[in-house]
Amino acid sequence: MAVSETSIGTWRAGLGRATRGLSASGRIGAAIILVYVAVALTGSLWAPYGAAAILTGSPFEGGSLKHLFGTDNLGRDVFSRVVLGTRSVLTMTFAATFLALAVGGLIGIVLGYLRNWVDELGMRIIDILISIPTLVLALLIISAIGNSLWLVVLTVAFLFAPRVARVARAATLNVATNDYVAAALARGESTLSICLREILPNIMGVMLVEFAIRCAFAIIFIGSLGFLGFGAPPPTPEWGLMINEARANATNSLWPVLAPAAVMALLVIAINLFADGLSRMIDHPGYRTTGAK
Amino acid sequence: MALISLLAVSAINFWLVEMLPGDAAARILGRNATPEALALLREQLNLHLSAPERYLQWLSKLMSGDFGISLVADRPVLDYIASRVANTALLSGFALLLYIPISISLGVITAINRGRMADHVISGIVLIFMCLPEFVIGILLISIFAIKLSWLPPLALIGQAKSFGDLLQLIALPTITLVAAMTAYAVRMMRESLIEVLDSSYVLMARLKGLPTWRVLLFHALPNALGPAINITALNVAWMIGGVVVVEAVFEFPGIGRLMVDSIGHKDVPVILAISMIMTGAYIVTNLIADVLVILLNPKLR
Repeated sequence: MAVSETSIGTWRAGLGRATRGLSASGRIGAAIILVYVAVALTGSLWAPYGAAAILTGSPFEGGSLKHLFGTDNLGRDVFSRVVLGTRSVLTMTFAATFLALAVGGLIGIVLGYLRNWVDELGMRIIDILISIPTLVLALLIISAIGNSLWLVVLTVAFLFAPRVARVARAATLNVATNDYVAAALARGESTLSICLREILPNIMGVMLVEFAIRCAFAIIFIGSLGFLGFGAPPPTPEWGLMINEARANATNSLWPVLAPAAVMALLVIAINLFADGLSRMIDHPGYRTTGAK
Repeated sequence: MALISLLAVSAINFWLVEMLPGDAAARILGRNATPEALALLREQLNLHLSAPERYLQWLSKLMSGDFGISLVADRPVLDYIASRVANTALLSGFALLLYIPISISLGVITAINRGRMADHVISGIVLIFMCLPEFVIGILLISIFAIKLSWLPPLALIGQAKSFGDLLQLIALPTITLVAAMTAYAVRMMRESLIEVLDSSYVLMARLKGLPTWRVLLFHALPNALGPAINITALNVAWMIGGVVVVEAVFEFPGIGRLMVDSIGHKDVPVILAISMIMTGAYIVTNLIADVLVILLNPKLR
């Protein structure tokens, strides 16, 4: 069964539809993110060595065809560890951001819709939570309840949720006075159903952009926690942790430090480009960015 | 409002630290713990009281400037952390000193050259710096300036500085790291708000009057673009309070961020509490100052 001209045509059209209105830099960002996702999904099938396999070559080898990014102090293959680390980093990032969006988004929408004393109280609590420096709070929480992959995810979600709630509430305030909300109320729909069926679809664009921006923050944040030794426990091939472990031997070989750092930076840049493109697309449908105003 | 937040934060911090595994007496005595010694120490530390009672006790001591006694150093916490606070203040001070002129001038350059080569180059570099986590910037700087070129020392052990020149050399890399991370946000915001101001009619008016460009910029455009800049600076200082923890870890800089990470490792509760309160306090005060400044600068809000 050969791939026919028409099927390529429809595939192209589908791609065009999906990215219509997205700026060129937004598309580049999206493409890079897709590559990372593909690596995360399939990496374990083609990574040349295992994440914990030691002495795959001698320690501190430079980059070569056998070890693309060289080897670390235990002779582990840095390329394989970076590739295999993509899965844990992306899983943690998406899980934490999704949780934060779900919980914070729901709270923000309900508060913005109610606009009564519950809203007053909720916003006060949110203001207080936001006034604690994130990293300080994260270190306290993680040292109190321990560090495992999922506790890091929950901590990051907990830290981001009040910030997301603020954004969701602000977006809801613009929507909640519309007639279709009043109509739903007149139909006798419950508060939760109005929030989820009437308001949520109308602030979906804002939430999508928020999701993308939060993802970029989450990667940096999870990387910082790993770097400080408060993230996933070793020998998880998490990028921040890898940089931390390799740092002591930076005088011997820079590959194990620079490879995960570069990979992390590229992903964050890609997500930022995508988020930027997405927010322009949603703000001005059909508007093409030309750089300067 | 600020006081209420601080109070709430102190309660949250206390409660979180309360959840650390093992009680304080067992932590201090470690392996030497005999049941009698444990009981005695628990009595001394008031562990027989309930958590809310101890919280109130801790809070009233805090009001009178008593942060308790460090479990590891066996010295009053205030005494123990004072020099660390001074070091961190020095580092942040240096960073702020460099950050303000750099971000304003880069913001102005990109705004008046918008769409031209200079704007594209600077904006591109800024975007990259914005996306780099601060510890990556720090490590890049170490690998270039300390390892490849060996111009500057890789670690900022400023206790060893003998002269001011030494100190500058030791503190250079961590300062640049903080500045790079902060400037990135500020330049972007400065550019946006300046462009908005430059497009306004009063700037056009000033230009039409035939005023030289530097006058238009300095007396007409900049003051009106400063409001957002102050907000960004407040955000940046707030960020720096967390970022300093990471940067200090990268350079082994003996400040409170490093001490916080170490103390969490040692479960030195009074020190952890003291540092988190200082950091949160600094954060809240910064935001307060920024709010006041913005109101003072804008006659419409006065």
